[in-house]
Amino acid sequence: MAFLLRQVARSGLQRNLILMRHATASTSANPELSVQVSESCLKRLREICVDGSFLRVTVEGGGCSGFQYKFDLDKQLNEDDRQFGEAEAKVVIDTVSLEYCSGATVDYHSELIRAGFRMVANPLAEQGCSCGSSFSIKL
Amino acid sequence: ALTLTPAAVLRIKTLLQDKPDMVGLKVGVRQRGCNGLSYTLDYASQKDKLDEEVVQDGVKVFIDKKAQLSLLGTEMDFVESKLSSEFVFNNPNIKGTCGCGESFSM
Repeated sequence: MAFLLRQVARSGLQRNLILMRHATASTSANPELSVQVSESCLKRLREICVDGSFLRVTVEGGGCSGFQYKFDLDKQLNEDDRQFGEAEAKVVIDTVSLEYCSGATVDYHSELIRAGFRMVANPLAEQGCSCGSSFSIKL
Repeated sequence: ALTLTPAAVLRIKTLLQDKPDMVGLKVGVRQRGCNGLSYTLDYASQKDKLDEEVVQDGVKVFIDKKAQLSLLGTEMDFVESKLSSEFVFNNPNIKGTCGCGESFSM
Protein backbone atom coordinates (compact mmCIF):
# COMPACT_ATOMS: atom_id res chain seq x y z
CA MET A 1 0.00 0.00 0.00
CA ALA A 2 2.91 2.36 0.71
CA PHE A 3 3.97 1.79 -2.88
CA LEU A 4 0.53 2.78 -4.15
CA LEU A 5 0.45 5.85 -1.95
CA ARG A 6 3.84 6.91 -3.28
CA GLN A 7 2.60 6.46 -6.81
CA VAL A 8 -0.61 8.38 -6.25
CA ALA A 9 1.38 11.25 -4.80
CA ARG A 10 3.69 11.24 -7.80
CA SER A 11 1.45 10.52 -10.76
CA GLY A 12 -0.97 12.62 -12.71
CA LEU A 13 -4.71 12.13 -12.77
CA GLN A 14 -4.68 9.52 -15.52
CA ARG A 15 -2.26 7.33 -13.65
CA ASN A 16 -4.23 7.81 -10.46
CA LEU A 17 -7.21 6.28 -12.20
CA ILE A 18 -5.14 3.36 -13.47
CA LEU A 19 -3.63 2.74 -10.08
CA MET A 20 -6.99 2.86 -8.40
CA ARG A 21 -8.26 0.26 -10.83
CA HIS A 22 -5.25 -1.90 -10.08
CA ALA A 23 -5.71 -1.37 -6.37
CA THR A 24 -9.25 -2.66 -6.72
CA ALA A 25 -8.04 -5.68 -8.67
CA SER A 26 -5.36 -6.50 -6.13
CA THR A 27 -7.87 -6.74 -3.29
CA SER A 28 -9.46 -9.67 -5.10
CA ALA A 29 -6.00 -11.29 -5.49
CA ASN A 30 -6.40 -12.33 -9.12
CA PRO A 31 -5.05 -15.91 -9.37
CA GLU A 32 -4.46 -15.51 -13.12
CA LEU A 33 -1.43 -13.26 -12.63
CA SER A 34 1.89 -15.04 -13.02
CA VAL A 35 5.37 -14.82 -14.49
CA GLN A 36 7.59 -17.29 -16.29
CA VAL A 37 11.01 -18.17 -14.95
CA SER A 38 13.68 -18.96 -17.53
CA GLU A 39 16.03 -21.92 -17.28
CA SER A 40 19.06 -19.65 -16.92
CA CYS A 41 17.34 -17.89 -14.03
CA LEU A 42 16.60 -21.20 -12.30
CA LYS A 43 20.17 -22.34 -12.83
CA ARG A 44 21.57 -19.18 -11.25
CA LEU A 45 19.12 -19.37 -8.36
CA ARG A 46 20.08 -22.98 -7.65
CA GLU A 47 23.65 -21.75 -7.31
CA ILE A 48 23.05 -18.81 -4.99
CA CYS A 49 19.97 -19.81 -2.96
CA VAL A 50 21.67 -22.59 -1.02
CA ASP A 51 20.91 -20.86 2.29
CA GLY A 52 17.13 -20.91 1.94
CA SER A 53 16.94 -17.47 0.38
CA PHE A 54 14.96 -16.62 -2.74
CA LEU A 55 14.87 -13.95 -5.41
CA ARG A 56 12.50 -11.12 -4.59
CA VAL A 57 11.26 -9.03 -7.51
CA THR A 58 9.66 -5.66 -6.90
CA VAL A 59 8.28 -3.06 -9.25
CA GLU A 60 8.75 0.45 -7.96
CA GLY A 61 8.35 3.96 -9.26
CA GLY A 62 11.46 5.48 -10.71
CA GLY A 63 13.89 5.10 -13.55
CA CYS A 64 13.74 7.14 -16.72
CA SER A 65 10.55 5.51 -18.01
CA GLY A 66 8.49 5.71 -14.84
CA PHE A 67 8.69 2.21 -13.35
CA GLN A 68 11.59 -0.07 -12.69
CA TYR A 69 12.31 -3.61 -11.59
CA LYS A 70 14.26 -4.31 -8.45
CA PHE A 71 15.89 -7.66 -7.64
CA ASP A 72 16.99 -8.72 -4.15
CA LEU A 73 17.71 -11.86 -2.19
CA ASP A 74 15.29 -12.37 0.67
CA LYS A 75 14.31 -15.01 3.22
CA GLN A 76 11.08 -13.55 4.52
CA LEU A 77 7.79 -14.46 2.89
CA ASN A 78 4.94 -12.00 3.34
CA GLU A 79 1.23 -12.57 3.18
CA ASP A 80 0.76 -10.88 -0.19
CA ASP A 81 3.63 -12.72 -1.89
CA ARG A 82 3.31 -15.04 -4.88
CA GLN A 83 5.85 -17.78 -5.55
CA PHE A 84 7.12 -19.01 -8.90
CA GLY A 85 9.91 -21.30 -10.08
CA GLU A 86 11.10 -24.25 -8.00
CA ALA A 87 11.07 -25.06 -4.30
CA GLU A 88 14.79 -24.39 -3.99
CA ALA A 89 15.01 -21.78 -6.76
CA LYS A 90 12.13 -19.50 -5.91
CA VAL A 91 11.08 -16.23 -7.43
CA VAL A 92 8.79 -14.22 -5.17
CA ILE A 93 6.75 -11.19 -6.21
CA ASP A 94 4.24 -9.26 -4.14
CA THR A 95 0.76 -8.99 -5.62
CA VAL A 96 0.99 -5.26 -6.25
CA SER A 97 4.23 -5.60 -8.22
CA LEU A 98 2.78 -8.58 -10.05
CA GLU A 99 0.06 -6.33 -11.46
CA TYR A 100 2.77 -4.53 -13.43
CA CYS A 101 4.66 -7.48 -14.88
CA SER A 102 2.24 -10.40 -15.19
CA GLY A 103 3.07 -12.46 -18.26
CA ALA A 104 6.74 -11.45 -18.30
CA THR A 105 9.74 -13.76 -17.89
CA VAL A 106 12.35 -13.49 -15.14
CA ASP A 107 15.70 -14.15 -16.76
CA TYR A 108 19.38 -14.29 -15.86
CA HIS A 109 21.42 -12.82 -18.69
CA SER A 110 25.16 -13.19 -18.99
CA GLU A 111 27.50 -11.35 -21.33
CA LEU A 112 31.08 -10.17 -21.16
CA ILE A 113 30.45 -6.77 -19.64
CA ARG A 114 27.76 -7.78 -17.13
CA ALA A 115 25.59 -10.57 -15.85
CA GLY A 116 22.43 -10.22 -13.85
CA PHE A 117 18.74 -10.81 -13.41
CA ARG A 118 16.29 -9.01 -15.61
CA MET A 119 12.65 -9.04 -16.66
CA VAL A 120 12.01 -9.72 -20.32
CA ALA A 121 8.96 -9.71 -22.58
CA ASN A 122 6.67 -7.84 -20.22
CA PRO A 123 3.38 -7.56 -22.12
CA LEU A 124 2.29 -4.71 -19.87
CA ALA A 125 5.36 -2.61 -20.65
CA GLU A 126 4.86 -0.16 -23.47
CA GLN A 127 8.44 0.93 -23.77
CA GLY A 128 11.58 0.87 -21.72
CA CYS A 129 15.01 2.32 -21.71
CA SER A 130 17.23 0.06 -23.74
CA CYS A 131 19.05 -1.16 -20.65
CA GLY A 132 15.79 -2.90 -19.82
CA SER A 133 15.62 -1.76 -16.22
CA SER A 134 12.98 0.89 -16.58
CA PHE A 135 9.64 0.77 -18.36
CA SER A 136 6.37 2.58 -18.76
CA ILE A 137 2.92 1.05 -18.56
CA LYS A 138 0.58 0.69 -21.51
CA LEU A 139 -2.41 2.93 -21.03
CA ALA B 1 44.05 6.80 -20.57
CA LEU B 2 42.45 3.90 -18.72
CA THR B 3 43.48 2.28 -15.45
CA LEU B 4 42.33 -1.09 -14.17
CA THR B 5 41.53 -2.03 -10.59
CA PRO B 6 42.98 -5.29 -9.25
CA ALA B 7 39.49 -6.79 -9.40
CA ALA B 8 39.19 -5.93 -13.09
CA VAL B 9 42.66 -7.34 -13.84
CA LEU B 10 41.79 -10.60 -12.09
CA ARG B 11 38.48 -10.91 -13.91
CA ILE B 12 40.08 -10.27 -17.30
CA LYS B 13 42.72 -12.90 -16.60
CA THR B 14 39.99 -15.37 -15.69
CA LEU B 15 38.03 -14.61 -18.86
CA LEU B 16 41.07 -15.00 -21.10
CA GLN B 17 42.14 -18.30 -19.54
CA ASP B 18 39.48 -20.12 -21.53
CA LYS B 19 40.28 -18.21 -24.73
CA PRO B 20 43.84 -18.97 -25.84
CA ASP B 21 43.22 -17.35 -29.23
CA MET B 22 42.38 -14.00 -27.66
CA VAL B 23 45.06 -11.60 -26.52
CA GLY B 24 42.84 -9.19 -24.62
CA LEU B 25 39.52 -7.44 -24.34
CA LYS B 26 38.30 -4.54 -26.43
CA VAL B 27 36.24 -1.67 -25.09
CA GLY B 28 33.90 0.08 -27.49
CA VAL B 29 31.05 2.50 -27.22
CA ARG B 30 27.66 2.48 -28.85
CA GLN B 31 24.67 4.73 -28.99
CA ARG B 32 21.94 3.31 -26.86
CA GLY B 33 20.38 3.76 -23.50
CA CYS B 34 18.51 6.85 -22.42
CA ASN B 35 21.59 8.99 -21.94
CA GLY B 36 23.02 8.34 -25.35
CA LEU B 37 26.13 6.23 -24.91
CA SER B 38 26.89 2.81 -23.52
CA TYR B 39 30.13 0.82 -23.33
CA THR B 40 30.59 -2.52 -25.04
CA LEU B 41 33.13 -5.19 -24.26
CA ASP B 42 34.37 -7.98 -26.53
CA TYR B 43 37.17 -10.48 -26.81
CA ALA B 44 39.99 -9.28 -29.04
CA SER B 45 42.32 -11.49 -31.08
CA GLN B 46 44.52 -8.61 -32.14
CA LYS B 47 45.05 -4.90 -31.86
CA ASP B 48 43.36 -3.01 -34.67
CA LYS B 49 45.24 -0.19 -36.32
CA LEU B 50 43.44 2.67 -34.62
CA ASP B 51 43.02 0.99 -31.23
CA GLU B 52 44.71 2.34 -28.19
CA GLU B 53 46.42 -0.35 -26.14
CA VAL B 54 46.50 -0.46 -22.35
CA VAL B 55 48.77 -3.02 -20.73
CA GLN B 56 48.61 -3.44 -16.99
CA ASP B 57 49.66 -6.29 -14.70
CA GLY B 58 49.95 -8.66 -17.63
CA VAL B 59 46.58 -8.04 -19.26
CA LYS B 60 45.76 -6.09 -22.39
CA VAL B 61 42.76 -3.91 -23.04
CA PHE B 62 42.24 -2.35 -26.44
CA ILE B 63 40.18 0.78 -26.76
CA ASP B 64 38.23 1.42 -29.92
CA LYS B 65 38.86 4.77 -31.55
CA LYS B 66 35.36 6.03 -30.80
CA ALA B 67 35.65 5.19 -27.12
CA GLN B 68 39.09 6.69 -26.51
CA LEU B 69 37.98 10.24 -25.84
CA SER B 70 35.29 9.26 -23.38
CA LEU B 71 37.61 6.94 -21.45
CA LEU B 72 40.27 9.52 -20.63
CA GLY B 73 41.03 9.35 -16.93
CA THR B 74 38.62 6.46 -16.40
CA GLU B 75 39.07 3.60 -13.98
CA MET B 76 37.75 0.20 -15.04
CA ASP B 77 36.52 -1.86 -12.13
CA PHE B 78 34.77 -5.20 -11.72
CA VAL B 79 32.01 -5.48 -9.13
CA GLU B 80 30.53 -8.81 -8.17
CA SER B 81 27.68 -9.97 -5.95
CA LYS B 82 25.29 -12.89 -5.84
CA LEU B 83 22.73 -10.92 -7.79
CA SER B 84 24.98 -9.57 -10.54
CA SER B 85 28.50 -8.99 -11.72
CA GLU B 86 29.76 -6.34 -14.07
CA PHE B 87 32.59 -4.22 -15.30
CA VAL B 88 32.10 -0.66 -14.16
CA PHE B 89 33.73 2.39 -15.70
CA ASN B 90 34.34 5.14 -13.16
CA ASN B 91 34.59 8.12 -15.46
CA PRO B 92 35.22 11.58 -13.98
CA ASN B 93 34.01 13.23 -17.19
CA ILE B 94 30.53 11.81 -17.20
CA LYS B 95 27.89 14.49 -17.02
CA GLY B 96 24.93 12.30 -16.23
CA THR B 97 23.79 8.71 -16.24
CA CYS B 98 20.42 7.07 -16.37
CA GLY B 99 19.15 5.59 -13.13
CA CYS B 100 20.69 2.15 -13.56
CA GLY B 101 24.03 3.64 -14.53
CA GLU B 102 24.45 1.80 -17.80
CA SER B 103 24.27 4.70 -20.20
CA PHE B 104 25.82 8.11 -19.83
CA SER B 105 26.34 11.45 -21.49
CA MET B 106 29.39 13.66 -21.63
